[in-house]
Amino acid sequence: MSGTSPTPEDRPVDRAADRAVDRRPAGWWAIVKGLGTVFKQAFRPDNTEQYPKEIAPPPERAHTGRHRLNRHENGLEKCIGCELCAYACPADAIWVEGEDNDPDEPVSPGERYAKDYQINYLRCIMCGLCVEACPTRALTLTSYYEMAFTSREEAIWTKEQLLEPPPPLGTDPVAREGR
Amino acid sequence: MPVDPITLTIDDKEVTVPKGTLIIRAAEQLGIEIPRFCDHPYLAPAGACRQCYVQVEGQGKLQTSCTVAVAPGMVVRTQNTSDAARQAQVANLEFLLLNHPLDCPICDRGGECPLQDQALAFGPGESRFIDAKRVFPKPVPLSPLVGLDRERCVLCARCTRFCDEISGDRFLELFARSAGERVSIAAGEDFRSPFSGNTIQICPVGALTATPYRFVARPFDLTSGDSVCQHCSAGCNVRVDVRRGEVVRVLARENPDVNDAWICDKGRFAYRHADAPGRITTPLIRDRGLEPASFGEILPWLAERCRSGRVAFLTGGRLMDEDYYALSKLARTVVGTNDLDHRRAFHGGLAEVVAAAAVTDRERSVTYRDVEHAPVILLVGLDAEQEVPILHLRIRKAAARGAKVFVVHPRRTRLHDVAEHLPTRPGHEVFVLDRIREGVDGESFEARAAAALRGAGGSGVVLVGERLAEHPLAADLALAVASKTGSRFGYVTRRANDRGALGAGVHPSLLPGGRRLGVAGERAEVEAVWGSIMASEDGRDAQEILQACADRLVDVLFVIGADPLRDHPDAALTRRALANVGTLVVQSIELGDLEPFASVFLPAAPAAEKDGHVTDWEGRSQRIRPVRDALGISRPDWEIFAGLAAAMGSDLGFETLEELHEEMASLLAPRAMPERPNVWAGAGPPQWLDDLTLFTYPLLVDEGRLSDGAEELKAALEDPAFAEMHPVDAEKRGLADGVDVRLTTAAGDATVPLRVTEHVAAGSVFVPFNQPGLAANSLLSGRSTASVTVAAVDEGSGPEAVPDAALATGPAA
Ligand code: SF4
Ligand code: SF4
Ligand code: SF4
Ligand code: SF4
Ligand code: FES
Repeated sequence: MSGTSPTPEDRPVDRAADRAVDRRPAGWWAIVKGLGTVFKQAFRPDNTEQYPKEIAPPPERAHTGRHRLNRHENGLEKCIGCELCAYACPADAIWVEGEDNDPDEPVSPGERYAKDYQINYLRCIMCGLCVEACPTRALTLTSYYEMAFTSREEAIWTKEQLLEPPPPLGTDPVAREGR
Repeated sequence: MPVDPITLTIDDKEVTVPKGTLIIRAAEQLGIEIPRFCDHPYLAPAGACRQCYVQVEGQGKLQTSCTVAVAPGMVVRTQNTSDAARQAQVANLEFLLLNHPLDCPICDRGGECPLQDQALAFGPGESRFIDAKRVFPKPVPLSPLVGLDRERCVLCARCTRFCDEISGDRFLELFARSAGERVSIAAGEDFRSPFSGNTIQICPVGALTATPYRFVARPFDLTSGDSVCQHCSAGCNVRVDVRRGEVVRVLARENPDVNDAWICDKGRFAYRHADAPGRITTPLIRDRGLEPASFGEILPWLAERCRSGRVAFLTGGRLMDEDYYALSKLARTVVGTNDLDHRRAFHGGLAEVVAAAAVTDRERSVTYRDVEHAPVILLVGLDAEQEVPILHLRIRKAAARGAKVFVVHPRRTRLHDVAEHLPTRPGHEVFVLDRIREGVDGESFEARAAAALRGAGGSGVVLVGERLAEHPLAADLALAVASKTGSRFGYVTRRANDRGALGAGVHPSLLPGGRRLGVAGERAEVEAVWGSIMASEDGRDAQEILQACADRLVDVLFVIGADPLRDHPDAALTRRALANVGTLVVQSIELGDLEPFASVFLPAAPAAEKDGHVTDWEGRSQRIRPVRDALGISRPDWEIFAGLAAAMGSDLGFETLEELHEEMASLLAPRAMPERPNVWAGAGPPQWLDDLTLFTYPLLVDEGRLSDGAEELKAALEDPAFAEMHPVDAEKRGLADGVDVRLTTAAGDATVPLRVTEHVAAGSVFVPFNQPGLAANSLLSGRSTASVTVAAVDEGSGPEAVPDAALATGPAA
């Protein structure tokens, strides 16, 4: 998903030029104008990113990577296992199972916590509706987009994985997961 | 047109309803929804929540539409056409939410909560309250099954009214007033009612929640199927909720013809058996060390044995009508035996005739509605609350409408506050019934019951429990009482589909439709559909089958959906029978206690995975649809029977459920009641016996297989084994309440704690059939009663203790 495809701004310009060519009879001026476009494009600075050799920092508010389950400052999980994210998800990518908190050793504040929490990244479309649904801001999307899998199981992330902060981009997944 | 029609106008629309209808119901008929919390169609109006305000023209103040009955020409304006009503409703919702914790994300009701829904539809949308809310400790366990969250309660009094009006188990009450008002239970009490779960279902918020369902799922996780409860013969309509293939909740489904809107706690909370760890979903075969095999391997193997050997079938009471029918046909037309029985206890000869009559005689049979509207109800040999709980609620409903209820039973039942009880020593019901039949004069129980039944003008109801059928004459006599007084007669079987088994002829001498094997004409009617019935002699009943197995007279015994080790009232005989029979075929969802004996296991699908019918005690056949796919290669029982028939080179004549239904319909259609021999010639004076009679029946929550995994239910409602004895008998033997006693019968002995109570009839000792600590069938010899001696066991004077005399003389040197 590096910048090899046309940028959105390019497309309308090209289409307008096409229509112009269609309507007029061919003439020397048209040829000059066409070549002008060729030269203009040829000398534009190009957008190619040298991923993964060089990894550009993602834009600050680009939340299009894997999820993260956040914690309160005291270490308790913010997630209360309410399943609202799972309900909101249009891709049915989330599985939550709730459980009673042990009052002496709570996992989250309040009565309920998530005993099990999984996101299936073969399903997830990074739409962020789950984040919007979450009543406790437990679930957020990060900009960590480097996810490749070699099996279905690997694509299903567990609660432990989702609680981990994402590593810096470009970290070798083998080194990262010890797989 | 309804009787006494009244026409009124609601939101400018005219509607005509019967006199006495509440405005809120009349509006429902027009499709106008008025928000409500306390109103419930099966509870008396209370006007507790003030949510249902409407404007009635000509009345200064707004009216609560759930408490005001319609009047002719009334003009009602709901929130749709009256600003005043709308504002009042918005204000009331704001008021109800004043102290509401709004913890919907973790509330089990979230997503199906009337408060959520109505706040959204009729509420203000924004909260103006920023102050601290009232807090209560939560959740407070009212019992191991029910948790109370007082912060969420809207004080609608539905739960308390259910306890007062419906179950009569008055545990919940509203305490204090104003902001401190709360639902509570007496200190130290548990909400020990077998109907407690209904309060959870009718609570309009998440204030009462079910502990077994706590945080288990959200409504959007569930796929739901309509089903019928399998735990008793009440036939309650239920909704089964499944999350990813696992049953996680059961709710009552409204059916005014059967269970109104209620179910008992067993039906609601005992749902884990189909997912119990013991569930087996492939056939197993002993020759290979009980290793998995395929049907294709096992059925021919089994067919070979069935062809060459003597075969008998024992079933439980919870298969489907279709399964019983297929078995009845398999046994009679392919295997060639009449040794098949679904009953667990001995039943007298005449009882069969009575039962057959009950199956066929629709004219005089009893339905829930008949019970509800009966002016007089006579119950004999039936503890309705423990055996058929929803029937118990119907009897209470009838009593609340003014019915006179008479109970002849050896142990006081939970109808005691609405009924007259005659504690009757087991076996002596015949004398009571005989006096009622004669219509003795005077002030006795019998005289009053007889007079009441005669005075009921044909709408009286006589209900007898299946235990009564053990006595050769009692059931027949009860039927005679019913005929003589013109009352309706109901034979109340206990297990979910005992009635279906009886109807299909899983019985040594009855064929489908109650036709008698021994009566040529009736047999010919069945043969016209089935072809020839191979054996024409009556077969063996359950007890005789087991005896024959023990005597090595049976080569292949099928035990289908049953556990005779737990259920058959003769544990020692059952053990011998299972050990001695050549091939034991267990067809069930699990092996359980039968594992050491089984030669072959055939995996049947439980009700949740089957399509078919069950017949409740009324004779009402209700369709069950599967709520999930059958696990593994388990199959409906009738398909296994059809497979076995095919393996034996024959054919049951149906391959699909539709074909099966078509054939069944022709034989199970209602018939006129056959002529009965009337052998009753008077009981003579009662034989008062000096010894004690032990009697037993299963309590609602016990160690039965279907309650496996329902730990919370057992914690709430199950007692360890005990024995009950009348104070007169206890005094004679010098026994005190609470001591351990040794019960000795011809079959065995057992030690249990004694309860001395006037709730059992003098001369009798009650032990529950299958509570933890004692399987009462170890004390029985084929009947539910036995002659018993009771003696104290104290520490030190047990059998091993040294006799006093020995101590006095000292040990020999
Ligand atoms: S980002 Fe969208 S698709 Fe992915 S889990 Fe959340 S709601 Fe589902
Ligand atoms: S992540 Fe948020 S929405 Fe999802 S279960 Fe946890 S608290 Fe609920
Ligand atoms: S607990 Fe529920 S049913 Fe009972 S009064 Fe409160 S809101 Fe009503
Ligand atoms: S009364 Fe019987 S049928 Fe009804 S829920 Fe209870 S056990 Fe099930
Ligand atoms: S519904 Fe009418 S007052 Fe509660």
